[in-house]
Amino acid sequence: MEYVPGIPILKPSLDADNRPFWEAVRRHEFVLQKCGSCDRYFQPPRPMCPECRSMDTMEWVPSAGRGQVYSFVNFTTDRMAYPAMKIPYSVVLVELEEGVRMISNMLDLEPDDVQIGMPVEVAFDDLDEDLTLFKFKKLEG
Amino acid sequence: MPQGIRDRAAVAGVGCTPFGERWDDNAPNLLADACFEAFDDAGIQPGDVDAIWVGSLYPFTGLSGGIAVDALKLFGKPATHVENFCASGLDAFRNACYAVAAGICDVALACGVEKILDQGSAGLPTDILGAHPVMGSVSAPAVFALAATRAMEAWGWTREDLAAVAVKNHDNGSDHPKAHFRRQVSVDQVLGAPCIAYPLGRLDACGVSDGAAAVVVTRPEIARDLAHKDDFCWVKSVQLSVHTGWPVYKSDFDYLGFPATRQAARQAYEEAGLTDHRDQIGLAEVHDCFTITELLNIGDLDLCDQADAAAFVREGLANVDGETPVNASGGLKSFGHPIGATGCRMIYEVTRQLQERADGRQVKDASFGLAHNLGGQGSAVAVAILGANDTGPTV
Ligand SMILES: [Zn+2]
Repeated sequence: MEYVPGIPILKPSLDADNRPFWEAVRRHEFVLQKCGSCDRYFQPPRPMCPECRSMDTMEWVPSAGRGQVYSFVNFTTDRMAYPAMKIPYSVVLVELEEGVRMISNMLDLEPDDVQIGMPVEVAFDDLDEDLTLFKFKKLEG
Repeated sequence: MPQGIRDRAAVAGVGCTPFGERWDDNAPNLLADACFEAFDDAGIQPGDVDAIWVGSLYPFTGLSGGIAVDALKLFGKPATHVENFCASGLDAFRNACYAVAAGICDVALACGVEKILDQGSAGLPTDILGAHPVMGSVSAPAVFALAATRAMEAWGWTREDLAAVAVKNHDNGSDHPKAHFRRQVSVDQVLGAPCIAYPLGRLDACGVSDGAAAVVVTRPEIARDLAHKDDFCWVKSVQLSVHTGWPVYKSDFDYLGFPATRQAARQAYEEAGLTDHRDQIGLAEVHDCFTITELLNIGDLDLCDQADAAAFVREGLANVDGETPVNASGGLKSFGHPIGATGCRMIYEVTRQLQERADGRQVKDASFGLAHNLGGQGSAVAVAILGANDTGPTV
């Protein structure tokens, strides 16, 4: 996927909960939030475990960023598409091995080739000096 | 289960404006047109209304019950603005039914209005952040496209199966004098329309419309003295179920239907005392914001098994002359979707069908009719069941 030159790309809106995630992405590291009390993973980031209701037990742990495409949408015309992105592009809902889901785009893959169940791995896209986004790549083999 | 609402409230009158591009009217005019039609239908005066609930969604909050009180010149009446995503209209009806069933109001008005096309956007207006593909928000077409992709994978449904919903609903709506899009479409036209979010094309999506609808709710013993003394409808059940607004992050959410619909429907059948709902429901107005949504709704409402919903429509069982007519009005797809008005429009249609005075295509021999209004990403769902006059308790 490619961006349309000249249209600013919106940056993540950082807050106390998601800052560690985006700072890790900037370093090309992928981290997920896990509850140290019940060992479950959660997304999006939050201050309290929604399962066991523990406070101060949410910690950031490294993830390989591997999973499968759970579902997807392909944008093939500019109606409803995001103006800064060149059509066609795919939006994928990825279920990671840790059991959480994340939304992003596929790198280096035509929309027609995206399939449910396709194994994917996280990749990092440096867009400018202070913006890195996470994307997904098809995992070969 | 608590006592429930069955037979404790009645629909005494209904009104609905033509839906569509209403550049010639403003929201207060549309709302007044629908409400005065309902007052006339019920045979009451505006001043007879004890309380008002009004559904409206745009421009997103900042509204009050004043939108109805100003339009109807009913200053001083208790009026509440209801906002529950696209289910706002049927939630307004739920509130009105509760007030009547509780004995607090003799006559309650449920209504809804939307004047949305002035905003000049394609699809539902959204802020740009809402459309950002890596921020975790999804547009309406995108979230239902995620569901369509899953259903096609799980059950082998095809884009032709989705198109069959559009063909049926446009065919029904082509005969309805108040429908927004009064024309038939072919499978080829649906498949050939520009793709807005694969696998959904433009004709898989409902229209966004201007319009208003209104329902006069009263106690059955009062309805017996009003204009529809012999054919008012009984409120058999009205249920609301609200689940997370962010199902996209729930790792146990399979996209193969919506839990809020299943829960509201299960409770509604129980409250209505229907023991064999597949046989007893004589028509259903369901929330077909997209073609895929109607198929998922048919399964969630248990009108057939979930995986069979595509065949149910393809084989004509959901046609006006089929086993369970679905969206005889044309549905959101053809009748149009002024967000806050849609739930009340469904009650308008179900009531007139049960009274055998449908303005469009009349279904045959229906005793019970269902309205299903879905909001957000399947997040807020209201289900109501009405019974024809002869389904009530004998006096
Ligand atoms: Zn925990």
